[in-house]
Amino acid sequence: MALVGRSVPRADGPAKVAGTARYVDDLTRPGVLLGATLRSPVARGRLRGIRRDPSFDWTGVTVVTAEDVPVNVVALIEEDQPVLASDEVRHAYEPIALVAAEDPVRLARALRALTPEIDPLPPVLTVADALQRKAQIHGPDNVFATYRISKGDAAKAIAESAVRLSGTYRTHHQEQLYIEPQGMLAFWDASGAHLVGSLQCPFYVHKGVKRTFSLDDAHVDVTQAVTGGGFGGKEEYPTLLALHALLLAKKSGRPVKMIYDRQEDIEATTKRHPSEVTISSGCDREGNLSAVSIRIVMDGGAYVTLTPVVLSRGALHAAGAYRWEHVSIEAIAVATNTPPNGAFRGFGAPQTIWAIERHLDRIARELSADPLALREKNLLRVGDTTPTGQFLKESVGVQRCVEEARKASGWERKRETLGQAAAARPVSAILRRPAPGGSASRKARGIGASVFLHGAGFTGSGERKLKGRVAIDMFQLLTEKKPRFRIRTASTDIGQGTETVFRQIAAEALWVSMDRVDFATPSTATVPDSGPTVASRTVMIVGSILEHAARDLFARIEQNRQKQGGSFDDAARRLIAHEGTVISEKTYETPADFVWDDATYRGDAYPVFGWGCDIAEVEVDLDTFETTVIGFWAAQDVGKAIHPLMCKGQIEGGTLQAIGWALNEKVVLKDGKILNARMTNYIVPTSIDAPRFTTVLVEDPYSRGPGGGAKGIGELPMDGGAPAIAAAIEHATGIVRDDLPLLPEDLFVAWKTGR
Amino acid sequence: MRMSFVVNGRSRTLDAPPLTRLLDILRGPLGLTGTKEGCGEGECGSCTVLLDGVPVNACLVVAGQCDGRTVLTVEGLASKDTLSDLQEAFVKEGGAQCGICTPGILMAAHALLAANPQPGEGEIRESIAGNICRCTGYQRIVESIRQAAKEQAAREPG
Amino acid sequence: MNPAEIALYPFERPGTLAELCRTLSARAGRKEKTVLLAGGTDWIVERRLAPPEDPNDLPLVLDVSRLTEMRGITVVKEIATIGAAATFLEIKSHPVLSRRAPVLTAMAREVGAVQIQARGTLGGNLAGASPAADGAAALMALDADVVLASIHGERRVPMTQFFTAYRTTRRAEDEVIVRVEFTLPRTGAHQVWRKVGTRAAQAISKVALAAVAEVERGRGVRSGFGMASVAPVTVSLPSVRALGLSPSLASVSDEELDAATRRDIAPIDDLRSTAAYRAHVASALVKGFFRELRIAAGS
Repeated sequence: MALVGRSVPRADGPAKVAGTARYVDDLTRPGVLLGATLRSPVARGRLRGIRRDPSFDWTGVTVVTAEDVPVNVVALIEEDQPVLASDEVRHAYEPIALVAAEDPVRLARALRALTPEIDPLPPVLTVADALQRKAQIHGPDNVFATYRISKGDAAKAIAESAVRLSGTYRTHHQEQLYIEPQGMLAFWDASGAHLVGSLQCPFYVHKGVKRTFSLDDAHVDVTQAVTGGGFGGKEEYPTLLALHALLLAKKSGRPVKMIYDRQEDIEATTKRHPSEVTISSGCDREGNLSAVSIRIVMDGGAYVTLTPVVLSRGALHAAGAYRWEHVSIEAIAVATNTPPNGAFRGFGAPQTIWAIERHLDRIARELSADPLALREKNLLRVGDTTPTGQFLKESVGVQRCVEEARKASGWERKRETLGQAAAARPVSAILRRPAPGGSASRKARGIGASVFLHGAGFTGSGERKLKGRVAIDMFQLLTEKKPRFRIRTASTDIGQGTETVFRQIAAEALWVSMDRVDFATPSTATVPDSGPTVASRTVMIVGSILEHAARDLFARIEQNRQKQGGSFDDAARRLIAHEGTVISEKTYETPADFVWDDATYRGDAYPVFGWGCDIAEVEVDLDTFETTVIGFWAAQDVGKAIHPLMCKGQIEGGTLQAIGWALNEKVVLKDGKILNARMTNYIVPTSIDAPRFTTVLVEDPYSRGPGGGAKGIGELPMDGGAPAIAAAIEHATGIVRDDLPLLPEDLFVAWKTGR
Repeated sequence: MRMSFVVNGRSRTLDAPPLTRLLDILRGPLGLTGTKEGCGEGECGSCTVLLDGVPVNACLVVAGQCDGRTVLTVEGLASKDTLSDLQEAFVKEGGAQCGICTPGILMAAHALLAANPQPGEGEIRESIAGNICRCTGYQRIVESIRQAAKEQAAREPG
Repeated sequence: MNPAEIALYPFERPGTLAELCRTLSARAGRKEKTVLLAGGTDWIVERRLAPPEDPNDLPLVLDVSRLTEMRGITVVKEIATIGAAATFLEIKSHPVLSRRAPVLTAMAREVGAVQIQARGTLGGNLAGASPAADGAAALMALDADVVLASIHGERRVPMTQFFTAYRTTRRAEDEVIVRVEFTLPRTGAHQVWRKVGTRAAQAISKVALAAVAEVERGRGVRSGFGMASVAPVTVSLPSVRALGLSPSLASVSDEELDAATRRDIAPIDDLRSTAAYRAHVASALVKGFFRELRIAAGS
């Protein structure tokens, strides 16, 4: 049948292009009220109360405060975050009260008729202040989590190295900016609480609702509406929004719909964690890397949310795609009075990979080595071990990624012909040089590279604890001759193509055509808990469970056919006649040889890694310091591309998010508040800013991946873009930046201050 | 205010406050929820519709100014159950991922191909520069539009 | 303000310019607030950010987008006339303007993207008096006149004198901008539009330069400039303009240009950029344009 490896038409495509796909804001229910949120105007303070304007006519308006919340916690990793603030506010925009009304004008006015009464307290707004305990805002030391990873004796090995280099590298916030804002529709009936919303993880919401309202499994039903992008932003946040909508629905006795305004969405929802990473390394004069010592500090914001897991992933990627005999990594995340940071594609890794890749460029600079050659010399290979002692058994396609990207981009030639400016003269000399030909534009071109890896699936013992499940049903429709199949999973399609790719995997394993396989709308009432749609685990982990479930079903049908004769469909019909809907459900089985110790952070951190090499070519205007990305080559080892076109779509889309993070995007905070929470001033790339991508799919299969070896691909492309761009700017202009972003103003300052 | 306009080839008359956004008229009383709201201030282009054949952001157009004019939304692109070349190309070439920006981009691209049946890559990119997509990196969108132009050319005689 | 609250404003559509002027005059006399609505690309966005107004005292919104007197683009005997309600889309696709006033059509092509160009108008750009008004910069460079109408008739204000302070113009409460007029630069004139924005498209200016110059035997005979986002209003760079009329363009030095640019601008730090960056880019753009003039003067 060979469905796997073919770029079939997107299954949910026709509805999306026809405008008939229903997103949450396209849904309604009779009697629906609109909901809105009253938020804290200050970063930290004592909440004394909420004043209601007595002159406002409150008829028909529902107001919910902390007193109305049965169990006032958001159940995530920890339970430190309240559903509504009751006595203290810990960040600007923290929810304080909720309002519902029938029409938007009444709603807006009711919201304005509520005033939070807050005695401000001095906020902790920076990591430095948090570490110095300017105020105690979380636990005894303002620390959310700490991790240590160690292999060999890094300090000693660095001290003994011929070339010792250190640097500090910083990254900034990033907003997911999915184009569909967060939204949720909630109602109650005799069977309990019902939610339909824009979300990635139905069972995360399910868990939160059960906890806050003390309900059992059977009385909570969470259904995913068609979701307009997530990128991690709809991983944990929708739980809070769901609780809000349900509280209003409960108190008003009516269905309630809450749709965030863009500004509210940018202000209140989670962002990528800012980071500061300090690296010291030792190597010999030939560029053979030996030892690295890394300290990572991340800003978690006001509540724990997913910060420990983000930090952990950051730490596990901090040494990059390289062989180091000695490694020491210390990672710490602290609390500040800023809106909580959370999941965003890459989940901590883009931050630490930015640091290690800039550090590799520092080493190349020091040794006057070709940056790509230096990397190539030190790449991890099959048989090497990672900083946690993980033995790399298979599927390490990084060498091929480097070769493919180098070849496609014309690296050697461009490295030589471009960027002479940087090589030959100090920057100031270039800029003062009278441009030949009068007004001829003063521009410099350069090329830069990054190499990276991304662990696919949950970290360490995550999958073993989770035990994700998937079911496939076989049933007979009266209107059709042949039996049909239905995939039931909690893995959601948020644009990445789950519905299509899962159909391919199932249809191939069942030896049936794709149009006989349905994908059930993810709803906690009807699908098993496959785990969340995160961590590049959907295709590789959940897809493999699905493949096993489908193969089991196929085997049963085949067995029946061999016993009783007839065709495959005859056998299938016999099974249905006997059992009704035939259900094949499987649970993920972590490979027995996969070992991880949470206490020591030793062992197999990930089932397998995806690998990549990105090469960027840029042109920098030497008058305005605007950077144009002229070309971008991404070669990434995906194991096996089940749908090559979508796979490329993931790589290109993720890479452009990384380019935006580097060149355009910047969250401006003042007193803990976001000054640019609009799409007119939080700038993401347009079609004209985006380069033409050349994407090479490298396939070095993972023996346990579905479809013949697929690995997770969702996050990998977010990791390499920013450092490749920074390296290209350095090649073009000589400007070295260790901190993101690389806005024209930042390059201008770097140039003026002589680097 | 009582106003009439032609939406997707059908005359519609309704009563609404004249400063109601066209977006709210389409999504509300007309039930055309294919047009999406992403930012409400003309930055993302998700609510792009054609007003007398020209792309506009329906979040920045007031209904009172549309009286007597023609509006085309994503629901008007397909004829009966057949998707247009452009829609078909987006399904096949990876032009749609999460799909929330897709209706707006289809409208901008539809206007481009109506005016310029064989656009170059630069023209394609300029025509959708007012439509933000966060999923695709734009390349598959550009390819989809290019493919649709090819299909159209192949279909038309001469 | 919620968009649903904007829908509550009263709205009227005057049929003629005369009717509009009468309404404006009567309302101004009664001290009643009036809003003139063309494309809505600024006003609707600003309402969303603005604090709500008293629901019992909302301004009257008058639709000017269809008034014949304010529409259309004509070129007669080297004089270009552009209706205040002409859209950026109409301007950028005008064949004569594209040839003879590329500084204007290039500007129009970079205002937002096509959706904004289809709605936004030159009149709205001028009336809003934003420091980032690209249209105003181009019209300053072209030495355009702004024509205002009221029940008392018409009056003309040079574009370079139209803005008086941050978001303030010479338009009186009872007046409406009906059109702008300018003499086309002669064929072969030097014209530059250079926008340095927040990204490559759909951007607001951090600095934008509009420049028009004519050179005859080494001397500048026409010189016009406009620069957006470097002062409380779009500015016409008078000192730079004077240098553009130099009898010997070849001898204008970079130092003189830097000093003139510095005198003419007052950049600030804001969300889009920094004062230092703006000052640097402003100087660089001006010098870039004069390099072109010097070469022309030398040849």
